[in-house]
Amino acid sequence: MELAWYALLGLFFAAYLVLGGYDYGVGLLLARGTDPARRRAALNAVGPFFLGNEVWLVAAVGILFGAFPMLEGELLSGFYPAVVGALVGVILVTAGVQLRSRPAGERSRAGWDRVVVIGSLLAALGWGALLAGLLQGVPLRAGGHVAGVTHLFTPFVAAAGLAVLALVAAHGATFLTLRLPAADAEATGRLARRLVPVALAAVGVATVLGLLSERVRDTVQQPVAGLLAPVLLAGALLLARAALARRRPGLAFAATGTALAALVALVGAALWPYALVSTIDPGASLTVADAAASGPTLRLLGWLTVPLLPALLGFQLMCWWVFRGRTDGRAPVYW
Amino acid sequence: MDTLLLARLQFATTTSIHFLFVVVTLGLVTLLVGLQTTAVLTGKPVYWRLTRFWGQLYVINYVLGIATGIVMEFQFGLNWSGLSRYVGNVFGAPLAIETLVAFFLESTFLGMWIFGWHRLRKGLHLALLWGVALTAYASAFWIMVANSWLQNPVGYEVRDGIAHLTDFTALLTNPSLGMAFGHVVFAALLVGGMLMAAVSAWHLIRRTPDFVLFRTSLRIGLVTAALSITMVQGFGFAQFGPVGQVQPTKFGGGPEADALVAEWTARFGQGDYTPPVLASVGLGFMILIGFALGTLWLLLPLLWRDWAIRLRFPLWLILLALPLPFVAVILGWIAREVGRQPWVAYGLLPTDQAVSGVAPGVMLASLIGFSLLLGALAVANWVLLARHAARGAADPALGRPPTQPPADTRPVPAFA
Repeated sequence: MELAWYALLGLFFAAYLVLGGYDYGVGLLLARGTDPARRRAALNAVGPFFLGNEVWLVAAVGILFGAFPMLEGELLSGFYPAVVGALVGVILVTAGVQLRSRPAGERSRAGWDRVVVIGSLLAALGWGALLAGLLQGVPLRAGGHVAGVTHLFTPFVAAAGLAVLALVAAHGATFLTLRLPAADAEATGRLARRLVPVALAAVGVATVLGLLSERVRDTVQQPVAGLLAPVLLAGALLLARAALARRRPGLAFAATGTALAALVALVGAALWPYALVSTIDPGASLTVADAAASGPTLRLLGWLTVPLLPALLGFQLMCWWVFRGRTDGRAPVYW
Repeated sequence: MDTLLLARLQFATTTSIHFLFVVVTLGLVTLLVGLQTTAVLTGKPVYWRLTRFWGQLYVINYVLGIATGIVMEFQFGLNWSGLSRYVGNVFGAPLAIETLVAFFLESTFLGMWIFGWHRLRKGLHLALLWGVALTAYASAFWIMVANSWLQNPVGYEVRDGIAHLTDFTALLTNPSLGMAFGHVVFAALLVGGMLMAAVSAWHLIRRTPDFVLFRTSLRIGLVTAALSITMVQGFGFAQFGPVGQVQPTKFGGGPEADALVAEWTARFGQGDYTPPVLASVGLGFMILIGFALGTLWLLLPLLWRDWAIRLRFPLWLILLALPLPFVAVILGWIAREVGRQPWVAYGLLPTDQAVSGVAPGVMLASLIGFSLLLGALAVANWVLLARHAARGAADPALGRPPTQPPADTRPVPAFA
């Protein structure tokens, strides 16, 4: 039962990284557009999905709290700087995207767009750092608390943060290629194709630094899963590039999305059976089973939420279906 | 400064800002459901315009509700890791249910509602708003279940120093839940009604050309606020009995409180087990404001033949009274939350054992950073809300037909 909940937690966080990932990717790409109309078109391409994307994060943290209370406290407070950075980013993007078109002046709108860019940057770096931090372990003591915050600042974490940033940017550009009117999609398609090699290089650097780091080698419990991660990421990115070259943005978007989702799945798999590995005391490491809530809580959550999961997914699918296809002049503009 | 105080300050700041926005969300969405349902049923243009105007204000307000809500959710883990460690098995369940079955759907529906104007069928579009409202109430309910458990832990047993869930129905029948939920829901309706009445009053004072529209929303707002304040008072006073029973130390001393303090001293050692005086001060002022707002009923007869608008001073009264319900809801939470101290879970987990083992410097940076960030966003949000409220219902961006360019609201130059 713990495994099922752990998988569900992974599913929600992976869905957030894929869906929220293109929000942040589009947010990052606002930095290069000086044309206000194009910036607004990009945000309204995300439009109806925006609110439905971020809820996956809220739900993931809800599952973390409800089903893995032991892990929740140590994970979030153990990676304080990364979590706070990501959180500030998420909030800036949330507020920036929804409020940027409320003032009428172009200067205030440009100001809010900068807020969105900074927010997207922080969110991508923060989540990348958190995933990397999991792979290099934390100084968790047997008493329960993680000591200090400096353990997070290593070259591997920095490289992984940048790799997720590049992945998210490529993912966002691919999303716009899929969603913007065909005439505008041409330019974003070219941009996405240029961003894919950058992401590949960043993933490569992070892989090398990870292999060189003794902490990462000690922390990773399943080396096969650990090594599979960069291979799968590279494969997905190469597929995305090929699909973009053949004007198949749907396939390319699926590929970049798979890359982000695979990242979560493989970080989880590489640490199995642990959820949080201690670097100073092997006995203090938290296994998934230890971290989970006790039986009655999991059963209750199962009875109350699992029957509703099809409804949750169904309404998200409804949103994607209703607003499918490229944006056009008839689509409502609000952000 | 120690980590505990800083963490408490941060939680108080975030929660207060969060609550100022979510009461408006909960109150306005209820009124919006009424407006859009009437619009669909009667087809009258004034109700469609009202839905767009108040919908726009609702959506702007919603932004900060989410932003602060996300910070709160993370704060439990960031700053209060002891809370999840010791009582997470019980306390985490209602919070997880809230995110999954309430908030998740609320935001998904709202995104479709905002972008569904002129695109979805009218019935489906209305159903989405109903969905937003119902999930908002469900959200408030589960949050209150979680909060009531902290006020009065029930349905658990402690094994190996950790609380385990034994009886979930006890959480739902918690004596500190029922009346408090009614109190909060009607407080939200009171705030929503007052906001609607006050914005309408401002336009009527300024003699905005949109007389019919703002006359309608003044009446809706005022009647809602008057009905709600009575319910708020009723649910408020009905809490004294059950809360006094389960939390004897909350409203000052007494033989029961002394007995409980003696028991805690035996179990947890010497300590100060009386809540800070701030709690009872907050309660006193909140009750005063509650009685003052009860006079809203005196304004209702003035709606006859629009005397409230013709006399004008009632409009000023409504406008000037707008801050009162906001102050009252914050004071009410201070009474409830500070009155629980020094416990995070009453009689079970002391607050100082729940705080994370984070260095004071990190906590201070986090407190200052988040307070500045959320404070700045809140002010920016209120400025935008005020501007959009003042701009009137001529052409809100929400529900604007896709091809129509924004209307030029600047006055036409006389000597063009």
